[in-house]
Amino acid sequence: MTFMNDPIVIENLTKNFNGFRAVDSLNLKVKRKSFVGFLGPNGSGKTTTIKILTSLLSPTDGRAYLEGVDVAQDPKKALAQIGAVVETPEFYPYLTPVETLAYLGELRGISNRDLKQRTKEVLETVHMTEWVDKRIGKFSKGMKQRVAIAQAILHEPSILILDEPTSGLDPRGMFEVREILVELKKQDYTVFMSSHLLNEVQEVCDEVALINKGQLLRNGPVSELTGADKFRRLEIKTIQPISEEWLGRISKLHDVSELEIAGPNIFVLSLAGGDEAQANLLRELYGLNLDVISFKESGMALENLYMSLIKESR
Amino acid sequence: MTEIVTKNRKKIVTTLPSDIDQVGVVVKYDILKYLRSRRLLGMIAIETLVLLLITALPPLLGHQYSSNADSFINTYASFVTILVVIGATLFAGDAIVSEFQSHTGFLLFPNPVKRWVLLTGKFIASMGAMFLVLFIYYGVALGLGLAITGSFSTLGAESLLLAMLYAVAALAVGYLISSVMKGATGALILTFALFIFILTIVSQLLTLGGVIPWFLVNFAGGVIGYITEVPYPTSSTGNPGGGPGFTMNTYVPDVGVSIAVMVGYIIVALVLSYFFFKRREMVA
Repeated sequence: MTFMNDPIVIENLTKNFNGFRAVDSLNLKVKRKSFVGFLGPNGSGKTTTIKILTSLLSPTDGRAYLEGVDVAQDPKKALAQIGAVVETPEFYPYLTPVETLAYLGELRGISNRDLKQRTKEVLETVHMTEWVDKRIGKFSKGMKQRVAIAQAILHEPSILILDEPTSGLDPRGMFEVREILVELKKQDYTVFMSSHLLNEVQEVCDEVALINKGQLLRNGPVSELTGADKFRRLEIKTIQPISEEWLGRISKLHDVSELEIAGPNIFVLSLAGGDEAQANLLRELYGLNLDVISFKESGMALENLYMSLIKESR
Repeated sequence: MTEIVTKNRKKIVTTLPSDIDQVGVVVKYDILKYLRSRRLLGMIAIETLVLLLITALPPLLGHQYSSNADSFINTYASFVTILVVIGATLFAGDAIVSEFQSHTGFLLFPNPVKRWVLLTGKFIASMGAMFLVLFIYYGVALGLGLAITGSFSTLGAESLLLAMLYAVAALAVGYLISSVMKGATGALILTFALFIFILTIVSQLLTLGGVIPWFLVNFAGGVIGYITEVPYPTSSTGNPGGGPGFTMNTYVPDVGVSIAVMVGYIIVALVLSYFFFKRREMVA
């Protein structure tokens, strides 16, 4: 096994709940310093897998390793390697963020000097510096989620495990947490994040693992997986209003299909091929004297792949 | 030892503490919980009320205080078991189950801490809160006894020790209930009802049937009050009304047996509590 390169290794992982198989012989490896989106519909086994990885559940069969340590065999050593946000954790309402981080930091053996410095840093990272001395009992869900992320990165773990970190948050809370995720991506963490929000995954993840009914459907780099489908969805905004005549002309361009108007001067299309085909399309659009304002890949490619795989696995 | 160097060159060195050190951390923050929660304050308020009533009522009703220190303390000691039950309910009833029900377990359990460490730390903190309540209660009672009778009740001090042992046994049973129950409210109610109603009823039924309920922890707890009586009372069987077929049994727990029973409850309840807590999964 290559634990040096793969800090998270899941082997034949199975979890049964009273006859219901939530995770079914799951095999997965997560590469070091990658940001992996763990995708699947509700009830697909994402959270169960994450709970086994964080020792909140015991596997019925199979093994999960964190930095080469079997979580079920030696949870203390395995969990020392990770920071985690599972579901929507609740906090002790009588503690402030600083005290909560001190509690968890002391349990992890961070020295007092480092603890003070790191607490300041992580609370800055999650934009909670104004609330350091307020008791968490009064915090909103979004604020609690930010403190949850702060505690997960407090000890600078090599692995971060996040379970739907934006779940249940209002749009502002989602935006704030997503900003933090983008910030984390710039650092040296290996991040394993479950989500069913495809745009979120496409925005922050390098790789995805798709799961349904507890089984892995596909995994790999986002670009490769969507490219493997030889299909990408593009959204194009123009100065000119898009008329039927324009649609007729655009539909005749190379590799274009499923052309639709998405607004007065916006249209979306599917393009067979990769980056070269996309660059060629832009040239051809200019060739038609169409004034393109924006030309971007929409999250639809991943969504398309996701939906087709989920449908296949039913 | 884990060494991680971040991009900003700051180096965090973490040495995973020993299990014993982690117990200390859990104790520290659970005691902080009790100090900040209204439960400890409420408990102290209740015992203040009990102390006021016991101290103020006799003169108000025209009775004189006993001039004997042991006899003086006896009235106070006879109410301790109720205080202990309230304390066990507040400090143990939901200690474990609340981590699951209120989802704080999602924060705590993914940390590198063994379940027995959490259980031990929480239990020691609960003991600390309970002992604080008992020290205040006995401190005031023994102090009043000294002031009023002019002598210190050594039997009162023995009663305190037995009360502490009973408190630990009650807490252990509370932790067992908390480890098994799904809801915090149910755990709190069951802990209270078990000592106040269920065990009391069982104990009285057994007594009526002529069976000495020496194995029941609430019966064993009776020694807290009896120890301050001089001489130590003895069990008796009689027919006070003189009617046919009616026999009244009065059983007094033996001190040695009661200590053994309480220790037994502590060990069994804590072992079972650990067993259930360790196996318990954070399902929802």
